[in-house]
Amino acid sequence: MSDATSTPRISTVAGIRRALKEAPRLGHRLWLIVVLNGFGTLVHVLVPVLIQQTVDRDLTEAGVDVTSVLVKVAVAAVVLVLGAVASRQAMVRLAHQAAHGLSDLRIKVFDKLIRSSMLHVQSERRGALVSRVTSDITTVQEFTEWGGVVFIVNSAQVLIAIAAMVLYEWRLALLVVGAVVVYAFVLIWFQRILQRNYDRVRRVVADSLAVMGEAVTGLPEVRAFGIEEKTMERVRNALERRSRTEFRTAAFGNALFSTAEVFAAGLTAAVVVVGILLGPSEGVTAGVLIAFLFLVNLLIEPVQSLVEILDFAQNAGAGLRRVVGVLDRADEIREPADPVPLPSGVLGVEFENVRFAYPGGPDVLSDVDVEIRPGSRVAVVGETGSGKTTFAKLLVRMLDPVEGTVRIGGVDLRRVARADLRRRVAFVPQEGFLFEGTIADNVRYGSPQATEREIRTAFIELGLDGWLQSLPAEMATEVGERGGNLSAGERQLVALVRAWISAPDLLVLDEATSAVDPALDVQLRRAIDRLTAGRTSVTIAHRLATAEAADEVLVFDAGRLVERGPHAELVQRGGVYAALYADWVTGTLAG
Amino acid sequence: MATPTAPVSARAVVGQGLRLVGGFARARPAPFVLAVLGATLFAGAIIAASQVIGWVTDTVIVPVLTGGEPREGKLLPAVLAILGVAVWKAAAIVLRRNAAGYLQFKTQQDVRERLIEHQLGLSLSWFGRQSMGDLLAIADNDTRQATGVLAPFPYASGVSLLIVGTVVLMFFIDFWVGLVALVGMALVVFVEVRAAVTVYPAWEGIQKQMGKVTGVAHESFDGALTVKALGREEHEVARLRTESEDLARRIAETNSLWETYRVIITTLMPAISLAVLVVGAVRVDAGAASAGDVVSGLYLLGLLAFPVQLIAFVLFDMAASLPAHRRVQTVLEVDEVVEYGTEKAAPGSGPAPVAGDRVSFGYEPDTVVLDDVVLDIPAGRTVAVVGPTGSGKSTLTMLLARLWDPGSGRIRIDGRDLRSFARYELPREIAFVSQNSFLFDDTVAGNITLGGDYREEAIVEAAIMAGAHEFITELPNGYDTRIGERGAALSGGQRQRIALARALIRRPRVLILDDATSAVDPSVEAQILRRLKSADLPSTVILVAYRPSSIRLADEVVYIEDGRVVAQSSHEELMQTQPGYARLVRAYEEDAAERARSAR
Repeated sequence: MSDATSTPRISTVAGIRRALKEAPRLGHRLWLIVVLNGFGTLVHVLVPVLIQQTVDRDLTEAGVDVTSVLVKVAVAAVVLVLGAVASRQAMVRLAHQAAHGLSDLRIKVFDKLIRSSMLHVQSERRGALVSRVTSDITTVQEFTEWGGVVFIVNSAQVLIAIAAMVLYEWRLALLVVGAVVVYAFVLIWFQRILQRNYDRVRRVVADSLAVMGEAVTGLPEVRAFGIEEKTMERVRNALERRSRTEFRTAAFGNALFSTAEVFAAGLTAAVVVVGILLGPSEGVTAGVLIAFLFLVNLLIEPVQSLVEILDFAQNAGAGLRRVVGVLDRADEIREPADPVPLPSGVLGVEFENVRFAYPGGPDVLSDVDVEIRPGSRVAVVGETGSGKTTFAKLLVRMLDPVEGTVRIGGVDLRRVARADLRRRVAFVPQEGFLFEGTIADNVRYGSPQATEREIRTAFIELGLDGWLQSLPAEMATEVGERGGNLSAGERQLVALVRAWISAPDLLVLDEATSAVDPALDVQLRRAIDRLTAGRTSVTIAHRLATAEAADEVLVFDAGRLVERGPHAELVQRGGVYAALYADWVTGTLAG
Repeated sequence: MATPTAPVSARAVVGQGLRLVGGFARARPAPFVLAVLGATLFAGAIIAASQVIGWVTDTVIVPVLTGGEPREGKLLPAVLAILGVAVWKAAAIVLRRNAAGYLQFKTQQDVRERLIEHQLGLSLSWFGRQSMGDLLAIADNDTRQATGVLAPFPYASGVSLLIVGTVVLMFFIDFWVGLVALVGMALVVFVEVRAAVTVYPAWEGIQKQMGKVTGVAHESFDGALTVKALGREEHEVARLRTESEDLARRIAETNSLWETYRVIITTLMPAISLAVLVVGAVRVDAGAASAGDVVSGLYLLGLLAFPVQLIAFVLFDMAASLPAHRRVQTVLEVDEVVEYGTEKAAPGSGPAPVAGDRVSFGYEPDTVVLDDVVLDIPAGRTVAVVGPTGSGKSTLTMLLARLWDPGSGRIRIDGRDLRSFARYELPREIAFVSQNSFLFDDTVAGNITLGGDYREEAIVEAAIMAGAHEFITELPNGYDTRIGERGAALSGGQRQRIALARALIRRPRVLILDDATSAVDPSVEAQILRRLKSADLPSTVILVAYRPSSIRLADEVVYIEDGRVVAQSSHEELMQTQPGYARLVRAYEEDAAERARSAR
């Protein structure tokens, strides 16, 4: 199955190139930032050089040339200030570019995701998809601001320090550079072990979060079954495992980090010994040697932070590749290049040899051949997993068939503009999803221009004005996060009104009233039947009362359309539908 | 400039921050003392390192290279001194970092354990007012932030010592050099405090805005089907754009501010060195100081350049730890704990009668969900609770299982008030299954037993009765298949059946089913109900139901409307006497009849 939650196998360089193309603000005049930063870093080398100059020329035992010292310091102070201004300029530019460029990238990724069908097909992956526009981008952001900058600054510092060393004394410089290179390789080798340890830490952390999450989310069950102690034991074990793993990994990193001190000291000692062995006859003066001691220190810190930066870079690289991977996915539902307008008037539907399967999965629907006449009322029934919801999603083009064609009003759905389709066809999914806001906000969500009067009329038409009046603030009642202030049934009522107000020519309901009580269900269906007279409606039904009232019933079983016809005829035929209906009657007979 | 969320004063941050660190240190003194010891040793090592360099300069480098003295016998002590100090420093680093890390990880563990343990004892009425996401964020992110100051704190205290030591040492070299260092370092510390205190509120603003971006993404993705059904993708993108651009603006401005401070600090350090150089040169010229002294002072300043920047970070961490710690405390201080009595359960003593005595209840103070409910359910009866959408059925079942306590009135099982039971006792008599039962990240068998000690036959028997055995045996590992977040995906109906088996295996004295088979296909549901009916359950059964088939399973029906028990009687009698009830139950039947009439 094509997967948007794993890390795609493209190179980080390709990922960066793609990101720069998608969000050009990100890379705007990057060279200027590098140049400004390089100049700022130059200043860090200034002091050791100046001290060398001063100690060698002005601070001799013979006496001190105070004027010369003052002149040099004055020059240095000017350069220092200029360097500071350059550094700040570079960092401020980078902060703006990174923040706004990555925001552009976030918006593009979100735009891509909200149009993909992954969201409702693999609903359990939604959390991972949210992190594409949140934590993944944040990791990249933090890296560009911190790791990336430190890397640039450090590299500049290393290069400048090495250049200064070479100018002073190339043999000592060779010694220092050689040793630093060897040490860097050793660190990089250890970094791989560190990486494995970090992976382990991430796993135990995720595990402890899951266990804590279960304890809190599953509290009603924990309480109802009296398993507080067992739950707490699991939490304790997970937390203990976590802190132990975290500590071990940190301890390894600490040991690695501390070796830099010993290495620096060894190198310093080596420089002193070699420098003295070479002696003034080879051009190594006291000033040169002292300058070297300072310059060696400038190399240590960048090398020491190399491990952290590499780790950071790997995470940011993986984040960036996941983000770019989303952009690289092909659109599942493609907008036609030259759309054909839907004909005006009532719309009929045709399925011609339609087969559907999720990528890599078994067929969910196959060989579906059916025509729904304009103006007819059709009910679709079948057991859970029979393919009836997939049928509805194909009908409203939430999915495209793998084989065959779906036509509305005689036009292949793949040639209809999305906006045109949504204007003419209303689809009400089972979930009854509400956004945070008022009832009116939610009804208006699909038709932003609807007036308060029109909203009220819609409630009245469906016979729901009584319910509306029973709410604390009627239409202005806040529904809460995901509609949490309303019951599941009430949420479905609002979702129904929301679709209803758009006055569709084709209405597709997917168990849209499954959570309302039977009396209200019957009332709603009668209202819809009365109001949609002359228009086409397709209802995926959980309750067979809908099927009894329909002009035609489509019966699905194991991904195939097995029976079709009016209710009475199907009951007489004694097939799949007759069996379903028998169950339903025994279930509903009040006796 | 991002609007500051709360004014922060440096004094308050440092004062409260130190108290917070003190509290954590008292709980685990040993690692704290070791960490501070390590930091002190570290500071000492840095000063020693500068002394060694000065000493090597004065006794080896200058005499040999400038004075032309012989080098014999001078190199080895120099090498040993340099390496010795380095090993000292490395050991100090390991000690400090390990002890501080241990302190931080263990403190996090302590806080998380206390949080979860405390929450497991709190009433559901408190949970009803919380967002689960927030509670988890407190146990995860806030706990990390509240303890975040523990890792760098010992280092910072070491650095503070180092700064004091440096200044003192500079005074030893020469009074005027010392004065320059003192003024310079004071300036650096002042700028760092300003940096932390001004940037922190802006950073908090960023976190809040990030929360908004995440909120929009979550809402849009969860409602994706609705968004697409209504063709509102552009609207959602526009919503995200607004929040994302605001976030970008805040990040850019805050980082610019932070970088400005950082540049000032990194420029101040070499500036101090330059000042020391000038003053040092003058003093050496006057014969008041040696060239080697000035060099070692400068070396020391060079060593300080990086660690000094950490003070701002620690102050920042402190500022961040305070509100996070307050959020943790808020949860720990909630006193809405469930009160328990001393009554012991008597499992296995057959079905128990259940009684409700003028029970009233509302989720919030001025709303009424249940009003003066009187119930009397004799032992061994099966009772259906019926009522229109939103009439209070589910609430009633939750009160019967003591997931909530009534606002007034009492609920009794076998004559004993539910509140008189000792902790863990009531679940041995009552089993409750809701519409959306929670399945744990465990095997199917583990989800049925919930850690209880049951034989395999008992598990299978319960699963058969719940209509779950068949699909369980078709799972990859049967009863040992892992389910939950990272396991096999089950349909809603399958999850409900596992939850039902979980209740049945306990053979409870009272079994409460809140629309527990709503997602099960009608034919399967009919089968389950037939099995329940014929099984010889030692239970009083109370079930919420819509379908007449489920209702007919019951000996008696409690009919609820608007939070009141309107009648409790047999189904037949209610059909005669309660028009509301009859309308509800016969809705489909009448609908069919009416259609038949109009068709004729």
